[in-house]
Amino acid sequence: MSFNVLIVDDSNTMRAVIKKVIAISGFKMAQCIEAGNGKKALEVLTDNRVDVIVSDINMPEMDGFELLKNLKGEDLFKNIPVILISTESSEKRMQDAFDLGAKGFIKKPFTPEAVKKILNEVIGESNEEEDRRDDEGFDF
Amino acid sequence: MKKKIEETMRVSIFEVFEKMFYIFLEPLDDESNEYDMEAAISFEGFLSGEVRLLLSMDIANTMIQNMLGLEKDEITRQIIEDCSKEAINMICGNFLGKLDSTKVFKLSIPSFIEGGSRPGPLNSMNQNQSSASAGMNFTGIETGKNAYKMDFDSDEGRIGVIIAAND
Repeated sequence: MSFNVLIVDDSNTMRAVIKKVIAISGFKMAQCIEAGNGKKALEVLTDNRVDVIVSDINMPEMDGFELLKNLKGEDLFKNIPVILISTESSEKRMQDAFDLGAKGFIKKPFTPEAVKKILNEVIGESNEEEDRRDDEGFDF
Repeated sequence: MKKKIEETMRVSIFEVFEKMFYIFLEPLDDESNEYDMEAAISFEGFLSGEVRLLLSMDIANTMIQNMLGLEKDEITRQIIEDCSKEAINMICGNFLGKLDSTKVFKLSIPSFIEGGSRPGPLNSMNQNQSSASAGMNFTGIETGKNAYKMDFDSDEGRIGVIIAAND
């Protein structure tokens, strides 16, 4: 099974780097979609099926934290796992991210192995949650 | 504190260059001023200051080729600027996280200049720092007790990093 990944970063170069690192990590990526900030990511989500979002924190217009808040308020998007990626990795910053619903946190600099590990953990958790919801949905 | 700052910065620089650019650096005993561009970022928190990354064109090109898999003729000025800014952002963030992960720091948006001399807040540093760059005119930095300059060599070229901090 392959997954559609949405990369959100205001730097074209960084988006290209993240895309390349995910590709060489061996993570099963079907399609890579890109957005330049949180606002654009929300627009992209209306037209695309996305399995996981990898987002920068500091971006103009809508940052990664705002994106998390917005996703939480949308029934269609609230279950899409989000991994934040940042150079700012203080314990408080990471806790804030998890409190807002982030499923993972990638510290820069990163290796392909570390990125794959977090993606697989998050996708695994997400699939388990979906299975649980499916199971709960049937009343035999 | 000076020793801790220098050692933490050195580790952070090695980590960023190895993990992101696949470049292995060696500390350089001689001071080098032969750089073509500079990226800078400032930070605020329990420690405030600025970090500057000095790059030769050769090493900038190699960083981009290694990180993005581009050929030399595909590299644009914009990509060089983005890559340099991303590098200084990672070095500074990594450095501060290692220095104290329980503290929150505010980082500025990185800036970038090619060649020339950058007049900046670093020239307000005080004297008495052996590793600061006496006579270095690339950045307009004067020696100061909290300003450190480190130069590194690699097969791909040299880099310099300057950190100025007021605690």
